[in-house]
Amino acid sequence: MSAVIKQQQAVQAGDTLVSLRGLNRHYGDFAAVDNIDLDIKDGEFLTFLGSSGSGKSTTLSMLAGFETPSSGEILVGGQSLVNVPPHKRGIGMVFQRYSLFPHLSVRDNIAFPLDIRKLSRAERDRKVDAMLKLVQLEAFAHRRPAQLSGGQQQRVAIARALVYEPRILLMDEPLGALDKKLREDLQDELRQLHRRLGITIVYVTHDQEEAMRLSQRIAIFSHGKIVGLGSGYELYQNPPNAFVASFLGNSNFLKLTTTSNGSATFEGASLGMRLTPGANVGQQVLLMVRPEKAQALSVAQAAEQPLLPGWNQIPATVTETLFLGESQTCSVVTRGGTAMTVKALSAAGMPLQAGEQVQLRWAAADACVYTHWEEGDLNKAAGAH
Amino acid sequence: MLLTPNAMSRRLRVGLYLTTAAIGLFLLLPIVFIVLLSFGSSQWLVFPPPGWTTKWYLQFFANPEWMAAAWSSLKVAALTTVFAVLLGLPTAFALVRGKFPGRELLYALFTLPMIVPLVIIAVAVYALFLKLGYTGTLFSFVVSHVIVALPFTIISIINSLKLFDQSIEDAAVICGASRLQAIFKVTFPAIRPGMVAGGLFAFLVSWDEVVLSVMMASPTLQTLPVKMWTTLRQDLTPVIAVASTLLIALSVLVMVVAEIIRRRNPVNA
Repeated sequence: MSAVIKQQQAVQAGDTLVSLRGLNRHYGDFAAVDNIDLDIKDGEFLTFLGSSGSGKSTTLSMLAGFETPSSGEILVGGQSLVNVPPHKRGIGMVFQRYSLFPHLSVRDNIAFPLDIRKLSRAERDRKVDAMLKLVQLEAFAHRRPAQLSGGQQQRVAIARALVYEPRILLMDEPLGALDKKLREDLQDELRQLHRRLGITIVYVTHDQEEAMRLSQRIAIFSHGKIVGLGSGYELYQNPPNAFVASFLGNSNFLKLTTTSNGSATFEGASLGMRLTPGANVGQQVLLMVRPEKAQALSVAQAAEQPLLPGWNQIPATVTETLFLGESQTCSVVTRGGTAMTVKALSAAGMPLQAGEQVQLRWAAADACVYTHWEEGDLNKAAGAH
Repeated sequence: MLLTPNAMSRRLRVGLYLTTAAIGLFLLLPIVFIVLLSFGSSQWLVFPPPGWTTKWYLQFFANPEWMAAAWSSLKVAALTTVFAVLLGLPTAFALVRGKFPGRELLYALFTLPMIVPLVIIAVAVYALFLKLGYTGTLFSFVVSHVIVALPFTIISIINSLKLFDQSIEDAAVICGASRLQAIFKVTFPAIRPGMVAGGLFAFLVSWDEVVLSVMMASPTLQTLPVKMWTTLRQDLTPVIAVASTLLIALSVLVMVVAEIIRRRNPVNA
């Protein structure tokens, strides 16, 4: 451990702290983790987001040392971790089912890493007290884990993982077992904790809203590969590929045939689109419009409001409208049979009826264009939350 | 429950009560008889006893042969317990955690002594020890008892190990403990009820084992059940009832202790 820690001291905040290089984990013919390259910055909150079996947890396990890579490198501060056993990595970890020691009190649970390190009694007590204060569990110090609520147990687990001041904290779906309200509270606490401590956190979740709330960067996993990496904003607004577009949030996909680099036809209508490198004339491309970026206007409204330059318009028929409280959605089908959804804040109003003819509008700049995709990418179920 | 009192006719309910009581009596009566006879004044094991006495107990405790047998039984049972747990613990870990071909087969092999008729094991072990010249030794008693006790110990420990969430052990490891430290500091305390139960099972198996023990016994070394068996063939003294009562008493005590430990431990409860 000491060698690794010393090496870590040389790393400046914001520099790369952890590097995964060509990381693989195979089980027989199955590649659970398939040639992953990733740099994790010192002090950042990075989330591995993906559905179960996408390889996110296996990657985290390799970082912790519970899984051995089939090939590839894990570097922390430039030093290889691959041959360092997990108990000497000096990494903190919080598990999904809390994994507290059931026979020890809260205080002794938190003190466990310090007892292993044979700290003096006074120093141990001082650090444990500081941790109990940090997670606001001073009053519960003498309870057993079984006498705590799920949220309190997870706080103890966090304190136990932080008490020996690791540089890196791994969290494997730590809030998965909690109900929604408590989850959101703990997410806020966790974000504040991260800001206060400046520790590097690698977080695994299958919940995209959680990933958005917590992380500075998100790595989206699919079939053992990282298929998208960036801030939640970047990944949502400009998904790098059709899979990420379909996986994150909701999306409308239209298949267009290009007529020039910047225009295309869809069901006979001529549409403008972003300039897209690699798109040849006459090629089929995929257009992605977020439901909240599109508008559905009744025929009368469309006649009143002229189409702005840079905007597209196609006719469609309303199939269903749904009121969802904060927002409302309107499902439509185009003349060619492509289903689309438009979403708007309830406050904006969308007085449409099923069966009504509408004009669908969106700004060409708001729609992403993909030249390559697979049909499976467009299937929401493949990356369901 | 499917049969709520309301939905069940009164007659059926009374019938069930009576059947249950009959079965309970059938199981309990021999024990009750033996205990009562051990306090009976008749030396011919007459029931109901014409009067009450504790003289058979005094006779039992005054007889060096009975005392030696009881002491041997305790020694054998204690050693069997220790070795069954020491062997059962790593075996259970290998069978639960190990990923190797033939694991299921190995499990079947370890539990085989529960299925194979005892007398076959007894003959086999006897033949072996006869050849090696170990019959009549403490060693032969303990080894043969461990063979039949081990399956109970292994199954008991396997059950608690399967219930134990291994990520708790992983948590200890990531906290800085080596795998061995983690097992000793975290896993063993967590599966202690299973270990204790496994040990008590081993004790009980050894304590009232008679088939193997008869084979292993020598004039100088015999266990309580063996002494009862040989005495019974000579005369029918109420001291046998005393020995039986003591045998039962210790077994019940062990079961009660096991239950108390199980209830007190918050883990895996």
